[in-house]
Amino acid sequence: MLEETVLIEFNRQIGKDTWLMGFRSADLASLAKPGQFLMIHLDRNTKDPLLRRPFSIHRIQDRNQLMILYKIVGKGTLLLSSLKEDDPISVVGPLGNGFTISGPHERPLLIAGGMGIAPLFFIAQALNKIQKHTIKMFLGFSTSQEVVLVDQLKGLNIDLSLTTEDGSLGIKGLVTDLLDEYLRQELNKKPVIYACGPTLMLKKVAQKAITSNLRCYVSLEGCMACGLGICQGCAVKAGNSKDKPYYYVCQDGPVFSSEMIDWRAI
Amino acid sequence: MVSQPDLSVNIGGLKIKNPVITASGTFGYGNELTPFYDPSLLGAIIVKGLSLKLIPGNPPPRIVETPCGLLNAIGLANIGIEAFIEEKLPSLFKNKTPIITNIYGHAIKEYAEMAKRIESVDRIAAIEINISCPNVEQGGMAFGTDPDTAAMVTDQVVKNTTKPVIVKLTPNVTDISTIARAVESAGAQAISVTNTFLGMSVDVATRQPKLANIIGGLSGPAIKPMALYLVHKVVANVEIPVIGLGGIMDYQDALEFLLVGASAIQVGTANFINPKAAIEIVNDLTDYCLREKISNINEIIGGLKTNGENHEKIGDKKNK
Ligand SMILES: Cc1cc2nc3c(=O)[nH]c(=O)nc-3n(C[C@H](O)[C@H](O)[C@H](O)COP(=O)(O)OP(=O)(O)OC[C@H]3O[C@@H](n4cnc5c(N)ncnc54)[C@H](O)[C@@H]3O)c2cc1C
Ligand SMILES: Cc1cc2nc3c(=O)[nH]c(=O)nc-3n(C[C@H](O)[C@H](O)[C@H](O)COP(=O)(O)O)c2cc1C
Ligand code: FES
Repeated sequence: MLEETVLIEFNRQIGKDTWLMGFRSADLASLAKPGQFLMIHLDRNTKDPLLRRPFSIHRIQDRNQLMILYKIVGKGTLLLSSLKEDDPISVVGPLGNGFTISGPHERPLLIAGGMGIAPLFFIAQALNKIQKHTIKMFLGFSTSQEVVLVDQLKGLNIDLSLTTEDGSLGIKGLVTDLLDEYLRQELNKKPVIYACGPTLMLKKVAQKAITSNLRCYVSLEGCMACGLGICQGCAVKAGNSKDKPYYYVCQDGPVFSSEMIDWRAI
Repeated sequence: MVSQPDLSVNIGGLKIKNPVITASGTFGYGNELTPFYDPSLLGAIIVKGLSLKLIPGNPPPRIVETPCGLLNAIGLANIGIEAFIEEKLPSLFKNKTPIITNIYGHAIKEYAEMAKRIESVDRIAAIEINISCPNVEQGGMAFGTDPDTAAMVTDQVVKNTTKPVIVKLTPNVTDISTIARAVESAGAQAISVTNTFLGMSVDVATRQPKLANIIGGLSGPAIKPMALYLVHKVVANVEIPVIGLGGIMDYQDALEFLLVGASAIQVGTANFINPKAAIEIVNDLTDYCLREKISNINEIIGGLKTNGENHEKIGDKKNK
């Protein structure tokens, strides 16, 4: 865990409201694991927005380049998108636990909704190096203009199924529809699920995994002030622990095994 | 060689090597930020507010950002005083930096019981009492909003410990100087000003409050002018040292509080944004003193230059 001011190498739009940013840090890159995140301070001199913003580590390249993939949803991300090459940002990380990578003989099933693709790309890269079986991925967006990274994912030798809610590209519907179908036909393959996306999507995926008795890891988001385990803001209700009523997403997560969370509270 | 300025201050009998202290609830249980710097370089560490038993805290969302501010409703989540003493304290840096526990209870006897427990723990240097929490015996009204109740809590803690007792006041009162005088008379050795300001934030799209708890406490730069005013007011009304806090982000903010008369300052929300905020303030204060040829930080404390007549507006000590 460290704090470093880095210079932006590139920051470009790659889809509707969707941006890809890269910067170099050999130290951060050497520590980073798939599923971990960074707290980024947009501008040291401004007090509004005040807090750092959390972003998943999206990709590591050339050993020292880190990328984040983000969507503009408010003033912080809008400000982030206005930054140019060589602008400094302060980065704290890597934070959180990261994904537990399955063994070489397991069948990974990656499920991403929208910006959920950000951390899943990194784990896809990592799994690709060790996996004997093809990695399967269900990727969902609301409309074709938001669809990003499909070519890069195919380059990673991933069996990819794409959905859009409006049917403008790929299969019309939700990623969770694909999961229903898959579990009806191929439950016996006992896939290990890695999922990231909107909380309600994760709830559906987790509940299906629990009823189907599958191992499933979800990467959750929580409202974070610090990302460092000192504010206790990022609480999520624990499902299986009597002496721990809440988990803290920044420390105990952001990746949780599906049965750890009390999904009724979500 | 230029000699280093003396930054040490005395907080009601507790001598600390510099006036920079971490604020309760913003520095975890004390060692979470060690990857960034050695916390023992700070004047003192105040840890997360502790209660007699574990408190799970409020359901999420517990925090929301507002312009230049942070609204929180953590619900005083903590592991309980016994778990802190048994599990956290032994692993905290072994050196001499004072560790101060911040305590709160739902009844006066809970405060007394905690003070008794802390009395037997050498590593804890002082007690800060949080009186901003609801008193269940009095219909949930905060202890800190009534001078008599505030004095009773203070008295019970002071009676059960020989360690310095600091009372942390809530700003959500009509006249903070009445409460300050009440806790001073009850034996408090110092006063911290201020805890968070009550606030709300609403999501217009869903028409719901942004915090699950509906209301929360506001901290950060948004509250600094109000916090400074309250420190100014309390300093004018009590003899005991005042610790100032509320929105301190850098050494300039810290200097403002020292100038209005705070003997020390606490760094809160700033820790979340810049994990090195507190240590940078120590270093920058040192540089400032060197630059300004100030050999002792006490030369700055209370050094606010005002036109004398205006001072009466906030209630001069002579009028007490
Ligand atoms: C561990 C973690 C990893 C993340 N990784 C990524 C990522 O890789 N790419 C990406 O685009 N985003 C990611 N996010 C979400 C991202 O942090 C928020 O979108 C961002 O903080 C919004 O900032 P803002 O100032 O633009 O929006 P704000 O003005 O703060 O908020 C705008 C809207 O977004 C909602 N919002 C704010 N913060 C969050 C949040 N943490 N989760 C969900 N909704 C939120 C608000 O409720 C509001 O409706 C991640 C969040 C976490 C906790
Ligand atoms: C997330 C959070 C948790 C807090 N928890 C406590 C606490 O347990 N006890 C307490 O006395 N004050 C608590 N506070 C209040 C701070 O110690 C401080 O008084 C307040 O935040 C104002 O200072 P600041 O603007 O520098 O943060 C908390 C504040 C925040 C933001
Ligand atoms: S974000 Fe502060 S404890 Fe998790």
